[in-house]
Amino acid sequence: MTFLHNIRTVAEYEAKTLRRSWFFRLFSIGSMVIFTFLNIGMFSPVGNESWDLVSISSSVPLINLYLLNIGQAIVVIFLAADFLKRDKKLDTNEVLYTRSMSNFEYVIGKTWGILRLFLGLNIVILSIGLLINIISKSLSIDLMSYLSYLLIISVPTLVFSLGLAFVLMSVIRNQALTFLILLGIAALNMFYLWFRIGSIFDYMAFGIPVFKSGIIGFDDLNFIINQRLLYFFLGLALVLATVLLFKRLPQSKLHRNLTVIFLIIFLAGAAICGNNTYSVYKKGVKNKNLTIETNRQFENEDFATLTDASIDFIHEGDKFEATTLLKIKNENKESLKHYLFSLNPSLVVEKITSDEKNLEFKRINHIIEIDPGNALLPGQTDSLSITYKGGINESFCYPNFSDNIKETPYRIQMVNVHKRQAFLSENYLLLTPESYWYPTPSLNYYPSNPARIKIDFTNYRLSVKNEKGLTVVSQGRVKTDEGYSVFKPDNPLTGLTLAIGNYKTDTLKVDSVEYLSYYFPGHDYYKKDLNELKDTLKYMISGIMRELETNFSVKYPFRTLSLVEVPVQFYSYPKESTQTRAEVQPSMVLLPEKLSTLQNAGFYKQFTRQKKRNVRNNQVLTDKELEVRLFNNFIRSTFISGENFRFNNGVASNEPTRYLLGPSFYFFKNNFFSAGYPVINAVFESHLQQLGQQGPRGGFQAMLGGLSDNDKANLILKQISFRDLLSRNPKGDTIRTVLKVKGDWLFNLLRAETGIDEFKTWFYKYIEDHSFKRVDIEQFDTDIKEKFGFDFYPYLNEWFNGKEQPGFLFTDLKVEQIIIGDRSRYQVTFVASNPEPVAGLFNISFRTGGPGGSGRGGGQNSEIFMQGSRGGGAGGGRFSISMQGRGMEAADISKIVLMGPGKSKRIGIVLDVQPRAMMINTLFAKNIPGEITMPINDIIKTKGITKEFTGEETLSSIPPFTDPSEIVVDNEDSGFITTKLTTTSPLKKLLGIEYKKGKSYQELSLMFIPEYWQPVVQSSYYGKYVRSAVYTRGGTDDKSVTWTTIIKQPGYYNVYCYIGKSVDRMMVRTGGQFRPGGPGGNNDQQDGKPPESPYKDMHYKIYHDEGVDEITLDYEKADGGWNNLGKYYLSKDTAKVVLTNKSTGRVVIGDAVKWVKQN
Amino acid sequence: MKIEIQGLNQIYPNGNHALKNINLEFGTGMFGLLGPNGAGKSSLMRILVTLMKPTSGVVLVDGKDIQKNRKEIRALLGYLPQDFRFFTSLKTWEFLDYSGSLAGLKNRKERIKEVDRLLDQVGLLEVRDRQANRLSGGMKRRLGIAQALIGNPKIIVVDEPTTGLDPDERIRFRNILSQLSQHDVTIILSTHIVGDISSTCQGMALLNRGELVFSGSPENLVKHADGHVFKLTLSPYDYERVKEYYNIISTIPVETGWEVQIVSDNPPEFSSTNIIPNIEHAYVYFMEHKLHTEISD
Repeated sequence: MTFLHNIRTVAEYEAKTLRRSWFFRLFSIGSMVIFTFLNIGMFSPVGNESWDLVSISSSVPLINLYLLNIGQAIVVIFLAADFLKRDKKLDTNEVLYTRSMSNFEYVIGKTWGILRLFLGLNIVILSIGLLINIISKSLSIDLMSYLSYLLIISVPTLVFSLGLAFVLMSVIRNQALTFLILLGIAALNMFYLWFRIGSIFDYMAFGIPVFKSGIIGFDDLNFIINQRLLYFFLGLALVLATVLLFKRLPQSKLHRNLTVIFLIIFLAGAAICGNNTYSVYKKGVKNKNLTIETNRQFENEDFATLTDASIDFIHEGDKFEATTLLKIKNENKESLKHYLFSLNPSLVVEKITSDEKNLEFKRINHIIEIDPGNALLPGQTDSLSITYKGGINESFCYPNFSDNIKETPYRIQMVNVHKRQAFLSENYLLLTPESYWYPTPSLNYYPSNPARIKIDFTNYRLSVKNEKGLTVVSQGRVKTDEGYSVFKPDNPLTGLTLAIGNYKTDTLKVDSVEYLSYYFPGHDYYKKDLNELKDTLKYMISGIMRELETNFSVKYPFRTLSLVEVPVQFYSYPKESTQTRAEVQPSMVLLPEKLSTLQNAGFYKQFTRQKKRNVRNNQVLTDKELEVRLFNNFIRSTFISGENFRFNNGVASNEPTRYLLGPSFYFFKNNFFSAGYPVINAVFESHLQQLGQQGPRGGFQAMLGGLSDNDKANLILKQISFRDLLSRNPKGDTIRTVLKVKGDWLFNLLRAETGIDEFKTWFYKYIEDHSFKRVDIEQFDTDIKEKFGFDFYPYLNEWFNGKEQPGFLFTDLKVEQIIIGDRSRYQVTFVASNPEPVAGLFNISFRTGGPGGSGRGGGQNSEIFMQGSRGGGAGGGRFSISMQGRGMEAADISKIVLMGPGKSKRIGIVLDVQPRAMMINTLFAKNIPGEITMPINDIIKTKGITKEFTGEETLSSIPPFTDPSEIVVDNEDSGFITTKLTTTSPLKKLLGIEYKKGKSYQELSLMFIPEYWQPVVQSSYYGKYVRSAVYTRGGTDDKSVTWTTIIKQPGYYNVYCYIGKSVDRMMVRTGGQFRPGGPGGNNDQQDGKPPESPYKDMHYKIYHDEGVDEITLDYEKADGGWNNLGKYYLSKDTAKVVLTNKSTGRVVIGDAVKWVKQN
Repeated sequence: MKIEIQGLNQIYPNGNHALKNINLEFGTGMFGLLGPNGAGKSSLMRILVTLMKPTSGVVLVDGKDIQKNRKEIRALLGYLPQDFRFFTSLKTWEFLDYSGSLAGLKNRKERIKEVDRLLDQVGLLEVRDRQANRLSGGMKRRLGIAQALIGNPKIIVVDEPTTGLDPDERIRFRNILSQLSQHDVTIILSTHIVGDISSTCQGMALLNRGELVFSGSPENLVKHADGHVFKLTLSPYDYERVKEYYNIISTIPVETGWEVQIVSDNPPEFSSTNIIPNIEHAYVYFMEHKLHTEISD
């Protein structure tokens, strides 16, 4: 056919021309080189073989095409725009226009020529990936994904880019302008549009989640196809529009008409696909809003307690049918006139019966409102049966989280993964309680109080019929009976999970717990990688479990623990009220396929890498020892601790990993309930679950200078009450941090009034006795009152509703070595004051041991440079502070002090060992940082027998914070001024970049030193409540800070500046002498020499009557505390001291200045 | 093949009236279109090769309106534009192959054979694999004519084909066209070089400022200049005077001064001989004396 012949001809020569262009050659050769190295680096045995990528084979073509696509989407713009320019510029091409071919043939030929060239490049890059894929031992091959990603990622992007470039070039007819517009569109896609409105504008597939699971394949193919077809069709329509806009007289009416017809068809196709894509987004938003609004109607209603649930479940393709027999109890104070249940809105209720009588019911979105006929009186029970069928609407599951992939990203490396909350297909099913696949008498979200959660401990029975012979997984022991799998958990559970798939099972019984692993065929790679552990696995698991039980002071409450492999897309959002994520269910953990997203799960690679490192370091470690280490690392980072640091909209947060086993020790076993204080259970959990964590901040976050959770929470609570904060449903980890502080305060109160050890013993038994039961907080209060005579309930009102914070001042710290009996002991006394109008609590602990001491705190006593993030080890100073009074254990606390409003107390503590530093945690208070370390440098030796002082002595008045004869201006005071940059670079001026001023507090970071004065907090800095300073990058005198005051009495004044030293997180040193760290610390300095100090000369300008004196202070040689800058005569006027950023050091820091009148 | 141009007008968006009511008719053989720069030749050519639509008027090829039958007309066309110098990154044979393929030569083997035959005909076989961009100006022109010839077109339109060529190349080019004109094809040659017409064209038209000022055979044009071309031998002093009053066509230095040829309505005051005019003389006489148009080139 001439038609095809012409297209082929034009395509052939267009491709030939482009292939010979230097731009394409450069791009293609560059791509080939880069992608060869990239594939080797990422996927080959000599490279990184990052487990999250190599575990799922589809990631090879995905990563390759994802990255190539970004490049080609831009390059194709240049080449396509060049197409028309070339035709315009070269008369030579006119000879082709006089040939007998239609414009359609010519434009399509050109398009196909460019397209096939790029597709060829894509295939070459994919071939490189495939080659590495074949070579790699860790990767299996998924050939279909190579084709799928080519069609999903590259083709629509190329077609759309080409079409758009053609049309713009045809209309604008200016190559430079067209480039600019097209590059702008590409940049807009990558930096702004990729996540908006359900990624509808993401023509480059830059953000849309297209990660393919090895278990279920593409999980949202309908959405992906529609979104990609939108741009494919739109691209084709634009190409056809180019045919019509092409500046050559047409020759074929037929082709022209066909072009118009197809243009309309493609536009219609694009519109349909666009509408489908938008509908998914809109539907999601609508469903979430509907869920929230429906919940708002019912959040103040009373719900029954579900005591028993027996579910008969039939799985039929992408639907299921179930009948649930429910037994409920009214544990409310009022009668229940209606029974309210939540059920996934996509499930249709067919009938509800009670005693074989049909009950009237209303369905309001996901709520089932049942009229039982007679009201259920408090304490009474009732039974009813609900039959329903249908599918699962996932947007219902977490209505308070939008589907915005930027706000709540879930990524494997740079690629977004679609977040799924349930799976329901013919071959695979996963339903967790979050999907409300069975009726539950509660709401999934309480709009006015997002931290509220209703927990029922329910006796479940589940009978599942699956005709495909797939493995059925749920909690409890399973019995198979005539095609039915029947599950009966041993304990009442907070929720039931069901998974059906082609699972294989392994079982291991350790101690009294049966460990079951459910995995897909071929996914048990760890057996081979950890082959040496076969014999010791039992002991290791036993050890880990015992350690966990010790940490939480609670026994693992279930007889089984199932580890179930689920598609990588399965993702739960964090809940404000609990650390529990849907990945961890009672006696069950849902792990990502092939453990892909878990740190340290690439055992083989880690093994070989570690082995090489050992050889290099002459370390002898057997294979078994190494595997033990790897296994332990994996278990710890996955189930026990593990950071999950991320930036979200510029805010750093450290979200705990999704697989923490901690909840199994509390959340799934105990529940403290309060109608008045619905957040109480979350507070209990938050406090009791903290032992496994690394302290207030993770390593990376700490390096960036983020504040501790404690301080963050106190800064927030300065503005708003706990209750109001919860109702505002703030984003990020705000609620988590606030819950922690509030929990710490509450438990410290209980300990302060009942005794630390006494409370621990009693509370441990109390929660064991109340396992799998809901405890009303008023009952808990009664029980405490009965046992200890302390009524804590009245404190809750101020704790929950109050906004005022106490503030603590600590003065007159003295330590004396005294002799009591025949023993030398240490008497610590200090004065604590709370000038604020509300009561508060703080606790005290000590760091003990001699210089270079060992064990806990040993590292802290050494003057070490904690370069890198490994510093501190188990003896980390901040670690010990942060841990005090958290979790079930509180043995590290020496004393907890309750301070009334406007009170001052002298506190006495006697220690058996020499204290090195006193550490105070002010918990909920105005003090920032709330964790204060007070070094103990001088110990007074008292001869003879001294009377010890232990306890508290209330003072008649609050001692003044500063000497009235001194004028102190702190960086927090109004007399402190930071100056703006005096010069702005022309580029910054042009771009409108303004001088930045640090607003919120941070901790000092030597990694990213700001070019503006950033307020930082540290307990060694000067301050009343807020111990802060400001710091900036050392520079050339273009920035300054000024302390000013009004001198009322003329005369000679000594001028001092405050240097807060010795407890910098990154550098701890005293006296300018460097000594290697003790065993608890990690000192990376191999040669014993200290690294160069970032602090050097600091230049103070002192303004006085005779002019200005510039005093240079050597930070290293300066004392910690007040440093005298000289004596000056000052008249009755404004006095000022200026510190500039001029320094040869990397950091300049300014804190406080004082003027002391000389007599 | 009969080509009729009826009432053809071309007005550009900037108001330039490039063609004014052109009426022409010619058949097979070579037809020359002569005129100074800006006369409207290229506009007419572009209309003839369907690159442009006239503002009004029709061009009929064997009675068929070319604008209504572009597909068929384009299948008959071979076109060499005026500016045929810049190529995309194609080799000589590839460019020809591309043109051949679009000209309907579908069989690859036959096409390659034809490509080589034409390259041989225009003397480019040796540079077959050279990048077309790297050919000399003359070679590019020859490649241009080869591509215009591929696929046996019935109408060949060549726009200013000899501009910028050295005399050898020019002669060579004229010869190729002459040979072609022996076949059953219509060659429309647009030029402002009068010599291109005289040697090859059976019919011709003269365009000036968009108007058709003459159409007929070159001989007819020459007849207009009969008795108006003179040869004079002049001293340097007289030469300056003649230059002031007459159109000098050629100047040859001789021992006593200059031997010049002039066109004039009347015999000059100087001693002169009447000579037989050629087409060049006729073109100058026609443009300068009939139309009072100053010939710039």
